[in-house]
Amino acid sequence: MIKDITLGQYFPGNSFIHKTDARMKILISLIFLVSVFFCRTDAAFLAMLIVTTALILFSGISMKTILKSLKPLLFVICFTSVISIFWTKGEGDPLISWRFINIYLEGVRQAVFMVLRLVCIVSGSFVILTYTTSPMDLTDAIERLLMPLKYLKVPVHDFAMMMTIALRFITPLVEETDRIICAQKARGADFENGKLTDRVKALIPILIPLFVSAFKRAEELAKAMECRCYTGGEGRTRMKQLKFKPGDFVFLLGFAAVCVLALLANNISFVL
Amino acid sequence: MSFIELDNISFSYPESDGPTIKNVSIKIEQGTFTVIVGHNGSGKSTLANLICGILLPNSGKVTVDGLDTSNDDTFEQLRRTCGMVFQNPDNQIVASIVEEDVAFAPENLGVEPKRIREIVDECLEIVGMSEYKMHSTSKLSGGQKQKVAVAGILAMSPKCIIFDEATAMLDPKGRKDVMDTLAKLNREQGITVITITHYMNEAALADRMILMNKGTVAMDGSPRELFGEVEKMVEYGLTVPQITELMYELEKLGCDVKRGILHTLEAADHIEEIHGSISDDESKSSSTASLSGDAAIELENVTVEYGKGTPFHRVAIDNLSIRLQKGKIIGLIGHTGSGKSTFARLLNGLLKPDAGKVYIDGVDIWEKPKEMGKIRSKVGLVFQYPEYQLFEETIYKDIAFGPKNMGIKGDELDKCVKDAARFCGIDDSILDSSPFEISGGQKRRVAMAGVIAMRPSILVLDEPAAGLDPEGRDNVLGGLIDYHRKNGSTMLMISHSMEDIAKYADQILVMKDGRVKAFGDVSQIFKNWNMLFETGLDVPQITKLFVELQKRGLVKRSDIYTIKKAAELLEPILPKRK
Repeated sequence: MIKDITLGQYFPGNSFIHKTDARMKILISLIFLVSVFFCRTDAAFLAMLIVTTALILFSGISMKTILKSLKPLLFVICFTSVISIFWTKGEGDPLISWRFINIYLEGVRQAVFMVLRLVCIVSGSFVILTYTTSPMDLTDAIERLLMPLKYLKVPVHDFAMMMTIALRFITPLVEETDRIICAQKARGADFENGKLTDRVKALIPILIPLFVSAFKRAEELAKAMECRCYTGGEGRTRMKQLKFKPGDFVFLLGFAAVCVLALLANNISFVL
Repeated sequence: MSFIELDNISFSYPESDGPTIKNVSIKIEQGTFTVIVGHNGSGKSTLANLICGILLPNSGKVTVDGLDTSNDDTFEQLRRTCGMVFQNPDNQIVASIVEEDVAFAPENLGVEPKRIREIVDECLEIVGMSEYKMHSTSKLSGGQKQKVAVAGILAMSPKCIIFDEATAMLDPKGRKDVMDTLAKLNREQGITVITITHYMNEAALADRMILMNKGTVAMDGSPRELFGEVEKMVEYGLTVPQITELMYELEKLGCDVKRGILHTLEAADHIEEIHGSISDDESKSSSTASLSGDAAIELENVTVEYGKGTPFHRVAIDNLSIRLQKGKIIGLIGHTGSGKSTFARLLNGLLKPDAGKVYIDGVDIWEKPKEMGKIRSKVGLVFQYPEYQLFEETIYKDIAFGPKNMGIKGDELDKCVKDAARFCGIDDSILDSSPFEISGGQKRRVAMAGVIAMRPSILVLDEPAAGLDPEGRDNVLGGLIDYHRKNGSTMLMISHSMEDIAKYADQILVMKDGRVKAFGDVSQIFKNWNMLFETGLDVPQITKLFVELQKRGLVKRSDIYTIKKAAELLEPILPKRK
């Protein structure tokens, strides 16, 4: 069932990653992303994998959950690695040559790195951000970090509120979709068989009710928000003030140092 | 000046023909508990929106605590004075974490952070949700969500809260929870409470009851006075609590009983006071549900688990075996999470059991998964709130969707659609209109017709009457019973309403924690009220009365669940009117 997906979910906990200020975590994940992109050798990737694993262990989130969240990526990973293995031309002799298929070391290298990059990025940013930060804190942090854009007349608050609501309604909408699919299946609708055009047509009985209900929800929510005195970002306060703690800076600096060290491994290479 | 004053107000929606509210004048005093009842479309919700200032009257004036709702300057003050809790618990919670949602209103009002913290803790304490403050809002039950919504309103320290059918989508436990919270707010915090409801048992708890009909106030008085006038209530499309109806029936039979009795204990006291003799009708040992005869549905050691290998793992159906006989109406009861809906989804192959076998008319449905289509046309499944599945341009096409998928064409398809429409009480004249332009009750009927059009020999219904007004309830359920009678179909009806089950079912299946707790004839199950209470379930009000009367030695049996039977038994022991 679709209810089982763990993407974009928050697992409350007590680790220091959970406790770090959400703004800091956004910065940390940026450092992490940049570092992963700068990895050029297998040694550097190994170092990055160790960093990721350490983060997972510190967060207290089970390896199983992380592996599960990687599952939806399986297709993308396979697809891109096949493409880079078969379509990359490298220097020197191919490793394997059979009829029109030529596999070069460069291709394998790119494929392996692509997979490692995806795995690191997804599991790392999930652990630092979505799994360990409450959605409210996250949107709040984004709102604060983007605050300077307000002077350029960018509606930062509205954007953050939209994100809060979107995150809040993921679960109800997924449940609703599940219910509608079941209801139409019970009326004999067939989503699994038939030509592609038939299958696309079969989506209509799901999409229309879903949209109708989403609009209805939006209308009701707007009314409920109005009843609770919501008039936009002007004059709004927050219950949870984001405050940097000394530990946050220690985490940031420490993490940056670790990443730099890991990148030093760019000078070493074992095989690739 | 009264706390809330509606002075000769009228209101009409731009798109509607006539006015929804016509010349209504109502005064409500501070600290009172008022209930507004009326059939669907009588203008109850519109009235609530007018009091809150969400809508403004076309003529007349609404004042709340001296604030004119049409005055733009005092707009925010009005919002804070008069909060509103809506029907759908999901659509009024803004944040993903409980305490953050409660903080929403004070944050909007610009309250200082420290003070917000205090307000949030206080409000969660009042509604009894403190231990859930860090929980994710989407993982709460319906009743808990509504309590969070109440806390969110309380955070504005309002003087008045309006509940717009806030219990309509909840299970009995959630409903009781919310009603208790509401009564507590009224008693302990002195908050003026106005509630709109279709549940007459809830209405009976109020100080004052206002009955709306066609946009005007038809009756206004204490619940006792209004429920005393049974004929009038029925005329306005409403019902009265079972106990009140029983008293009315007894009165019609010539007994000298008081009018307007609302509660079980009250009725028991009254009967004890005036009774002459003691009923000597002894309970006959009722037969156990016969397991002979052809089975329409048979489950053999079925187990279903959700979310294997995740933190959310749970067993929904636990090694369950049962045989349900052909041609019966079986009521399926159990509290939320007992596995009822999962059970329903197993029957037409929407869900594959992790272990065990499901037989429909003796055929193992997972033996040839390719032929599931046949099973699905045999077992019609109507989900909760089925109106959310409508999608076609016309009602006709929507009803035809199911039979079309089964390959029915031409004249036969036409006959399927028209027959189904008739069973569900849909007029031929509206078949060409859009399913999105009709009223909620009609949408429900169209959605049900869409399943009945497949002519299933087994009909599984998940809360078919949830959220409908009493008249709509009787119409929908009556149509389904008609279909059952004419086609000899088997019906499995999931319901939280013991009164509906008592009225329609032949047998009852009680589920608890994914297992069968009990299965038997209706009288047999209700007789075992102790077991039902332990399972967190209820019995019909009539049965409660007889349990009480039996305790006091006035009657010898408690397996009574219909008003007719109850009146028959009580009539001989009560004094006649001279």
